[in-house]
Amino acid sequence: MNLAHVHLLINHFPTIGFIIGLGLFLFALIAKSDELKRASLVVFVGIALMTIPVYMTGSAAEEMICMVPQKSPNAPCANPAVSRGLIETHRNAALLALVFMEITGAAAWLGLWQFRRRSRPSRVNLTAVLLLSIVTLAVVANAANLGGGIRHPEILSDPEAAAQGPAVVGLGLNSGALGRFILGVPWMWPVCETLHFIGLSLLLGVVLLVDLRMLGVMKNVSFATLHRLLPWGILGFGVNVLTGMMFFVAAPEQYTQNGAFHWKIVFVLIAGANALYFTMFDETWALGPGDDPPLTAKFAAVSALFLWVAVMYCGSMLPFLGNAF
Amino acid sequence: MPLGLTVVLLVLGVTAVVGAVGYLIDKSAERNEHK
Repeated sequence: MNLAHVHLLINHFPTIGFIIGLGLFLFALIAKSDELKRASLVVFVGIALMTIPVYMTGSAAEEMICMVPQKSPNAPCANPAVSRGLIETHRNAALLALVFMEITGAAAWLGLWQFRRRSRPSRVNLTAVLLLSIVTLAVVANAANLGGGIRHPEILSDPEAAAQGPAVVGLGLNSGALGRFILGVPWMWPVCETLHFIGLSLLLGVVLLVDLRMLGVMKNVSFATLHRLLPWGILGFGVNVLTGMMFFVAAPEQYTQNGAFHWKIVFVLIAGANALYFTMFDETWALGPGDDPPLTAKFAAVSALFLWVAVMYCGSMLPFLGNAF
Repeated sequence: MPLGLTVVLLVLGVTAVVGAVGYLIDKSAERNEHK
């Protein structure tokens, strides 16, 4: 198995998962079921996390399917059956879909957090999630359709126009131009790198407070107090997803062929799922001052500490264990 | 503008935006809980 294979395996998650999530969400709104609303928000958050490796493995698949070095980006693919223009169109549509997906995921997470604090949904948040998810489904379906057309041009309504590249088929973010901007402008990389560390500090600060409380430190602090800090951690995570994607879009080959980076993303995904436990579960929410957390909360705390340290370790080791820079 | 100053100003600008968003979320949570 290689990353092109992984891309083929997981690239259906965003589209199919979002159809399921949006269907469930609409049903929950009609049935006025808070439990189903929460379930659909969890689906949106999960799919938003899953879309990150879908985009990244797509770049790896691009390198494998169209073995042309970066130095000559306009040269045709070695395999004449594959259109470089169509791949680029798909990549641009996928980047736009990723942006919408992450914004929807962040809004859905905020909805889950508000649900926990107020025991009822926020109408503004639910409206925002509904509108965002409809737009996201449209842009994701477009990206998926273009991706399918790379090997099956017969499914596209106008394969020749699509093959000519992004100038012909819109609805995408020009990832090539963005990459050139990030690499070409001298202040761009250091700004992203600095913000990546600020995001990490925000995220890890909140993770440490929550997890250490679960393990017996600051026992006189109720969990509801720490729960109020969670949006700061998620903001840090958001900053890091944004800046991390900037690096990836600028120099994908540094990451797609980098074992340390593969592990980093695996750990990020598991840690993201772990964060949902502290966002919405009853057993931690009920912890008052002096209360001892249940064993599951302690296990979640230890695993979160391990996962985030592993993320940082793999990130730091990109040039040493992997081939970056 | 010197490169270092550009980096510092951009980082401070983005950090201020992130801080403002976090502050607004926190204030909104506080307001709703006191209702």
